[in-house]
Amino acid sequence: MPAHQSYNLLLVILSYAISVLGSFTALQLAVVIPLAQTSGQRTAAILAAGAAMGVGAIWAMHFIAMLACDMGMPVTYDLSFTALSAVLAFGACSLGLAIASSGTFSWSKLVAAGICMGLGVTGMHYLGMAAVMMGAFISYDMSLVMASMAIAIVASIVALWLAFNLRGPLQMTGSALVMGVAVCGMHYTGMAAVNMDDNGGQLPANYASGLRGDNLGLSIFAVVLVLLAMVLMLNYLRQRRRAMISI
Amino acid sequence: MIELEMQILSDRREGLLVELGRLVVANGFTLLRQRLSQDSKGTWLVMIVRGPAERQLVLEEALATHNRVLSFEAALAERDALPAPSSPVARLLAAEAIAPAAGPDVRQVESTLPQLAHDYPKIYPWLITLEHAVAADAREASLQLAGRRTGAWVYKRDYAMGAKLGLADAIKRIAMPALRELATVDWRDGQLHIQNSPLCSPGGDSGCRFFSGYLEGVLGGSVAPQTVFARSLYCRSTGAVNCILEISH
Repeated sequence: MPAHQSYNLLLVILSYAISVLGSFTALQLAVVIPLAQTSGQRTAAILAAGAAMGVGAIWAMHFIAMLACDMGMPVTYDLSFTALSAVLAFGACSLGLAIASSGTFSWSKLVAAGICMGLGVTGMHYLGMAAVMMGAFISYDMSLVMASMAIAIVASIVALWLAFNLRGPLQMTGSALVMGVAVCGMHYTGMAAVNMDDNGGQLPANYASGLRGDNLGLSIFAVVLVLLAMVLMLNYLRQRRRAMISI
Repeated sequence: MIELEMQILSDRREGLLVELGRLVVANGFTLLRQRLSQDSKGTWLVMIVRGPAERQLVLEEALATHNRVLSFEAALAERDALPAPSSPVARLLAAEAIAPAAGPDVRQVESTLPQLAHDYPKIYPWLITLEHAVAADAREASLQLAGRRTGAWVYKRDYAMGAKLGLADAIKRIAMPALRELATVDWRDGQLHIQNSPLCSPGGDSGCRFFSGYLEGVLGGSVAPQTVFARSLYCRSTGAVNCILEISH
C-alpha cells in the first residue's frame, strides 16, 4: 500500500461484501437470460443483469472503497465523470453478459465476455479515479495498472464460467465470490498503482461543486437497498416457479 | 382419428398459442378450438386437437416436455360426430382400444407421475408398482415414458438456469448429478455405468428403459439441438455386472 494511503478495514470488508452481493444478483439474473422466449425479454434480462453488475457490484464497490481510503487530504468527485463511470460499467457488463449467454456455451464466447466485463471493471475504476478532485497530481505505475486489468479479466472469465457452465450451489455462490475477487482485486491493485505528487495545494476549479463522501454514501445506500430487494424478489419468484412446475 | 383435450399451464401468455400450435401442427394434428385464461398460477391454455391416434403419444410428450409448459394434462375429447361412451369405464375402454399395443400405458404412467414427483428421489417403489400395473408388452415403453417425463421435470426444476451446453458437458454437469440422486453411477469411456440398479434385478426384467428415458428427458432441454438418444448396452438383469447405457445426439 502506498505510504500516502490508509484504509478503514471495516469499509474494505464492506466493499467486498457489496461486490459479492451485486455479483450474486447480477449473475442470478444473467443465468436465466438463455431461457428468454422473446428478444424483448432477453434484452430486459441483460439490462437488469448489467445494471446489477455495473452499478451494484462495480460502481458501488468502487466508491465504498474510495470512502475507505484516507489519502491524507480532502477529496471530492466530479459529477459527470462519476456518472460516466457508472454508465461505462453498465454498458460493458451488459455486453459481456449478452455474449456469455448467447447460444451454446463455448470458450471463445466466454473469453470475449470476460474481456468485456474485465475492461468494464477496469474502465470504471480509472474513470472513477479521473473524477477525483484534490490538491495533488495523480500518476500511475503502469505495470500495476496492467496487472489490475489482468486480474479483472481473468477473474471475470472464471466467474462467468462458474455461472453459465455449472449447476447447483457452486454456480449460485461460487461465481459471485469470484466476481467479488475480480472487482476488489482490480480496485485495490489499481489503488496500489497510484502515486500522488504535491501540486502546491492548488485545488481544481470545480472542487467545491464536486460530490462529497456523504453524497456518495447516500447513493451507495440506495443501490444496496435496490440490490437486496432484487435478491429477495428473485428468490421469491424462483421458489414460486419451482413449486408450480408439475411433472 | 382422435380428438384430444389438452390443458396446459404456462408462466406467460405471450406467444404461447403460436408456439404450441406449431408443435400440434408439426405432429400431424389440427387445432379445432382453443381457450386462453389467466389465474394466479399463470396462463391456462385449453386446446382441442384432432389427429392420428398413432401420433398421440408423440404429441403429448412433445408438449409435456416443452420449455414453456409448467403443467400438462391430456384426455380424449368427446367428439360431436361420434356417440359419446356412456360411462367412464366405457371411455377408458375406448381409450385403451385406440392406444397402440406396443406403446406405453399412458393412463398408468400419468397416474404414477404425481407420486414420483411427491416422493422424488425415493421413487423405486412407485416404479416397481408401475412395472406390475401395466401389461407386459407395454412395460418397457411405459418405463421409458415415465423416465422421460421425470427427467424433463427434474431439468426444468433444478438445472434449467445457465447456458445451453454441449452433450459432453451436459452429461457431466447435469445428467450425472441428477442421476446420482437416484443411483450409484459413473461415467467411463463414454458410457454410463449404473451399479446395482434396483429396477434391474438379476434374472428379472430390465428397468434400463426408465434410465434411458430419464437421460433423454433431463438432457433434452439442456443441449442444442434438443434430440438426445440413450440406449441400454448391457443390463444387470441379463447377467452383466453393471447396467451400461450409451448416450448420443
